[in-house]
Amino acid sequence: MVKTLLWLQGGACGGNTLSLLNANDPDLLEFLEDYNIKILWHPSLSLESDGDVVAILDNVISERVKLDILVFEGTVVLGPKGTGRFNLFMGKPMKDWLKSIANKADYVIAIGDCASFGGVPASDPNPTESTGLQFHKKSKGGFLGGEFRSKKGLPVINISGCPAHPSWFLSTLALIAEDKLTEDMLDEYNRPKFIYSTTTQFGCPRNIYFAYKVSVKEFGHREGCLYFELGCKGSYTHSPCNLILWNNQSSKTRVGTPCFGCTEFDFPTFNFFITEKNRSGIPKNLPIGVSIGTYVMLASVARAAAPRFLLKPLVSKKEEKSDYID
Amino acid sequence: MIILIEKVLSPFNRVEGDLDVKLRFEGKKVVDVKIISGLFRGIESILINKKPMDALVITPRVCGICGASHLYAAAKALDMIYDAEVPQNGWIIRNILGISEICQNDVRHTYLYFLIDFVNKKYSRFPFYQDIKDRWGPFSGNSYRKCIVWSKRYTEIYAILGGQWPHGSAIVPGGVTTDPYPNDLVKIKGILKNVIREFIEPVILGGPLDQFLSTVKSVKDLDQWSEDYPSGDISKLWNYGKEIGLEKLGYGSEYLMSYGHFRIDDNKFYFSPGIYSILNKNKYSIDHNNIKEFVARSFYVYEKGENMGLHPFEGETNPIDPEEAKERGKYTFTKTARYILNGKVVAPEVGALAMLVNSDDKLALSLVENLGPTTLVRVISRLVRFLKLNEILLNEIDRFEFGKPTFKRYNERRDGYGYGLVEAARGALGHWIVIKGGIIRNYQIVTPTQINMGPEDPYGNLSATQKAIIGTEVEDVNNPVEVSHIIRSYDACLVCTVH
Repeated sequence: MVKTLLWLQGGACGGNTLSLLNANDPDLLEFLEDYNIKILWHPSLSLESDGDVVAILDNVISERVKLDILVFEGTVVLGPKGTGRFNLFMGKPMKDWLKSIANKADYVIAIGDCASFGGVPASDPNPTESTGLQFHKKSKGGFLGGEFRSKKGLPVINISGCPAHPSWFLSTLALIAEDKLTEDMLDEYNRPKFIYSTTTQFGCPRNIYFAYKVSVKEFGHREGCLYFELGCKGSYTHSPCNLILWNNQSSKTRVGTPCFGCTEFDFPTFNFFITEKNRSGIPKNLPIGVSIGTYVMLASVARAAAPRFLLKPLVSKKEEKSDYID
Repeated sequence: MIILIEKVLSPFNRVEGDLDVKLRFEGKKVVDVKIISGLFRGIESILINKKPMDALVITPRVCGICGASHLYAAAKALDMIYDAEVPQNGWIIRNILGISEICQNDVRHTYLYFLIDFVNKKYSRFPFYQDIKDRWGPFSGNSYRKCIVWSKRYTEIYAILGGQWPHGSAIVPGGVTTDPYPNDLVKIKGILKNVIREFIEPVILGGPLDQFLSTVKSVKDLDQWSEDYPSGDISKLWNYGKEIGLEKLGYGSEYLMSYGHFRIDDNKFYFSPGIYSILNKNKYSIDHNNIKEFVARSFYVYEKGENMGLHPFEGETNPIDPEEAKERGKYTFTKTARYILNGKVVAPEVGALAMLVNSDDKLALSLVENLGPTTLVRVISRLVRFLKLNEILLNEIDRFEFGKPTFKRYNERRDGYGYGLVEAARGALGHWIVIKGGIIRNYQIVTPTQINMGPEDPYGNLSATQKAIIGTEVEDVNNPVEVSHIIRSYDACLVCTVH
């Protein structure tokens, strides 16, 4: 059976759409064919413009056309003063379109951190009064309300991340296409557990440095862990970024960029690139499940046990001092 | 009697973001156009009172298709404030990141956004219609599908050095975060060579890349190429485009502006800065002080005065409710960006054509000289820029010297003004940052689509796209595909524009 999919964009940058175009094995077109999904309309991919789009949405709202899957990208914009007029779509606030379409769909997917939790636009001072579909940052509710259920009885399925990785989205969509996704497969933020149960640190090549508490103090190096000085959130962010690689190739931490925690409800937390510490120099955010006591104990033992080769550059280079490893 | 008809194209899709186009026709001729973006995103407001380095995480999120250009601009502005010296390897990697993103864009824009208008029902009577459907038809066309397969390989190149695309943050003041090994460079080169062999040569060009770049220098040469290699999409675009009149359609601004980009060394760039006048064939130097933003027609107010043109260091972002703004003649969330050339307010075109012309590219100059800044010229230029960028990428890969640093430490400063000018896929992009006490006090972004498509300024100057559309004769007022061609030829990015 063919399933229909409608994609709408609110307060969005389009990054989740572009990310989806990077899908591989299967790519987007192959996936749609293999899983029998028909795109009713997508803002940047579809041929239809203008009146044809009005007709498509009207058909969905009046249920002349069955909508199986609604995908929403970007925040739900409520500003100014709750009117939603900071995001007009075909002359009407996008929030009003969303309201009349969300309850027609068998499944509703929020793709990206914006649609899931409000993301960047909803961060302080939230000038557009943005919110997520069913969460506002940490609190359940968002635009559709905590009790919202799509026609198949599921809450909004959040594929968070800024952007979401195409494989996270398509593998969830594959389950939906076969009606195999159930609520117990979602975590407390309604994200599929099979994607968001590990932290970014799983599979990070810098793990060995983390284990022995060897730090890197500046950018531009393979050596050292980014957690201690450069603000990496990989040990307390739920994502498979180092297991399901980006663009088939890499991840932020592999190229020396700290993890910014973009799959979590509180992204963006700001003060990036710096590890905030308490007075005794202990990072304020500890790895998930680790207490200050255990951290301090483990750190001193681990540092003392660090193999000597980890304290030196792996490959010594010209014009470079080795004082960046600590 | 002349019949006046108003038509609103809403939504005008296959651009980045939401766009409405309001047209007024006299008979079949467009006499007025308003290009409307109905979204405000508030990124500049969010950055105020944050730490300067946060701009490297937040500003790529301005745009899902050109985030690396925003990142590059933000990092350059911070380089300036911190007086950071970037090692040569750092510049090379920055260039590879910026260029691979533009390559990804150019292919996707051409096939997924622009060429699809050729399958419009208007062209069904043309003999080439079946060929076009087979090649460029959405989701099914041969070249369309190849674009899906091959365009993402540029994002792989990006990810090898930048971690992920979109929204990596590997460019930082002082260089880049990454530390590539020789195997990474070999892989990048391998991917690129593959794209050239399997996609660029057989699909886009129908012939060898180096031959195109070394021999096609004029309109005549392009005619010759399309005769010698008729199967390439560039030949088809050139020929079919002329058959449907795209070479005459959408004559825009007489000024073509580029900030210049992709540094080679201290005084040399792959693309040179300048503002070129088509009418007097003169190139003027540019200065960031001459960039001004206006809001007379936009859903914002300026405390400094409604009709003021503000330099971005003095810029303001105070959005208002579109409902109350309408009565004051405001109609879009796009601010108007203008350049003051020798005391005169001008509305230039930015983008691939402007980049090439200001860099003395012979083919682009010949196209402009013979046909003007028209729809077909812009789209062909985008492909030409793409082809050249592939050559530059290969060069940058070879220039990288393993063993030398990619980053150099700098001293943070608490106060300062900095700006970063780059060329994004759609053209001239600038970030202006004011920091005081280690905190961002003002952050202003001026995007290429604002320059190309902003509303009219208080002096009555129309933006390049408005100029290009007004006067266009359409065949069918209810199917004004001619206007679609023109707008998409500028490669509009509305998400950037309403940042």
